[in-house]
Amino acid sequence: MTQQLIDAIIEMREEDSIKITNKLLDGGASPTDILNACKAAMDVIGQRFENGEAFIPELMMAGEMMTAVTDILKPRMAKDASAEKLGKIVLGTVQGDIHDIAKDIVGFMLDLNGFEVTDLGVDVSPEKFVETVQETGAKILGLSGFLTLAFDPMKDTVEAVKAAGLDNVKIMIGGGQINEQIRQYTNADAYGKDAMAAVAIAKEWTKE
Amino acid sequence: MFTRPDNWNELSPLERRKLRLDHWQNQPVEFITPEAEANYKVRIDRLRKTYDMQPVDRRVADVWMGANEYIVRRKGITGKDIVYNHEKLREPLLEFHNEFQPDTAATPLPYPGKIMDMLNYKSYVWGGQKLPDKLTIQAVEAEHMSGDEYKEFAADPTNFWMKKFLPRVMPTLEPLAMLTDLPRVSENVDIIDLILPFGTPPFQEMLKTLMEAGNELMKMLGVVGQTAGMIAASGFPSMGFNIVKTPFDYLGDTVRGTRGILMDMYRRPDDLIAACEAYVPVLINAVVNASDRNGAPAAMYVLHKGADAFMSKEQFEKFYWPTWKQVMLGLYEEGITSYLFIEGSYNNRLDNLAEMPEKSLVCHFDQTEMGPVKEILSDKFIIAGNVPASLMSTGSVAEVRAYCDNLVELFEDAPSYILSHGCYFENTTDEKMRAFMDAVK
Repeated sequence: MTQQLIDAIIEMREEDSIKITNKLLDGGASPTDILNACKAAMDVIGQRFENGEAFIPELMMAGEMMTAVTDILKPRMAKDASAEKLGKIVLGTVQGDIHDIAKDIVGFMLDLNGFEVTDLGVDVSPEKFVETVQETGAKILGLSGFLTLAFDPMKDTVEAVKAAGLDNVKIMIGGGQINEQIRQYTNADAYGKDAMAAVAIAKEWTKE
Repeated sequence: MFTRPDNWNELSPLERRKLRLDHWQNQPVEFITPEAEANYKVRIDRLRKTYDMQPVDRRVADVWMGANEYIVRRKGITGKDIVYNHEKLREPLLEFHNEFQPDTAATPLPYPGKIMDMLNYKSYVWGGQKLPDKLTIQAVEAEHMSGDEYKEFAADPTNFWMKKFLPRVMPTLEPLAMLTDLPRVSENVDIIDLILPFGTPPFQEMLKTLMEAGNELMKMLGVVGQTAGMIAASGFPSMGFNIVKTPFDYLGDTVRGTRGILMDMYRRPDDLIAACEAYVPVLINAVVNASDRNGAPAAMYVLHKGADAFMSKEQFEKFYWPTWKQVMLGLYEEGITSYLFIEGSYNNRLDNLAEMPEKSLVCHFDQTEMGPVKEILSDKFIIAGNVPASLMSTGSVAEVRAYCDNLVELFEDAPSYILSHGCYFENTTDEKMRAFMDAVK
């Protein structure tokens, strides 16, 4: 039956995913088994995204279904059911830029892949990023920016992190006009072209 | 004002296109010097040949798309100035044109800051309002139409726009919702419903505000028009566009929002397609009327959600392309060239564009691979763009020049190519601007 849930999510059958979740619970399935099925489905969707077979609508739909299923499971989840996290990540759109769609997808995919994400929202100052990295002890910082005006605030944020002595924090950047040239300009450690690239970078850094 | 000749109905699309371009090319300008007049004629002749895909003495370098704000920001102008203080832009603009002698006129978009304030406009935030003074303007994503309202939209897009959408994004216009449905005003007693809202205090208050906004707009257009006239008089022709979007982007950008419309592709696909289809004749009519009014021979599409990264090829061909293509073909029939500003990349959409008739498009690319563009599209359409904003912002002068040289060389044997930036940027240097412009000389 969990395979049915996996199939429903992969095939973007939103209503079916809810019905099957409820049936699974009625049949005595554990919330953990259901969550694992969701994660298995997301792995397939993530893989398809990397292969150019799934796109932003599928990531967003999968996110909606995951949220709906999690909301059903929440009352039944044991307090100790929280899975061990791979690491902490602070994420936000840099100062002066108010775009959040791509950042939200990145945050969702990082969360789904086992990271504890602190999302600071949009128009975040370098000081706020530094402060939050210090508070959370995160070892990874993700900076998003849709507009070209994001180049300098990204550079300023990287400088602020270094100036605060957070040399063990790695910084990735991403957004519509971000490429290797901007990574070099900002002195960030990596740039990711999309949400799955951000996950791959974060996993790689966590291994180190 | 473009006036159609009596034999308009007997003309082919390309003959109509020629008349619209003739009108644009021959608009009267009072030049400041004979030299300015001579320069203008050389420049507009080169642009016209580019649009006609005829041989030119050299390529056109168009600074407008990427550098339209840099050219005033280099003199200390802020985003707030661009939105609110159009008078302040004049000197820096005239100075830029005099100093750089660009192939085309370039000015920042004329954002009407005071009027946006008066309307309580919610689809954007801007410098001097909710953004810091140094920034210009950014879109705010929101859902201004619920998924359940698609059918109402499709039944009558104009009515929905006037009575639902505008009051939601411009709260000053909320009383517009009181208007009767205009197509039912036919008989004498219908006049009661037609005029009734005009007798109510909220509607009258709105009308007062609109009259004040109208006065402000006239002042602003006086300033902007005078500056544009001085730039033309100094020898610099403008390209001549009306700005437009695809049906999908109209619905996605500011009506349903990105999240809303991308979910709708799964949750209510038929309603979404029906709404896009309903938009087609309305949009064609609107753009043709605008082109007739202001004489612009082209419609510039700012393209967003059909890009490679947003949706699959199958989704593009199901949701995005069919109604957009209908709009472009409708405009082509009326002699209007579609200028496509293709944000992101269209590597997987080139064969779709190739379906359009010869000379119907100017394809301006941001990050699309230009080798296949040349191969697939350059014999049929005018090609433009691809100098990266990242390069102009952070690259060296030599890197900019090398990139531009490569583009000019790549399109050397193509009928038409306009050297231009892939995307707008805030910061660069005068030296990089010169390197960009010199690459065509």
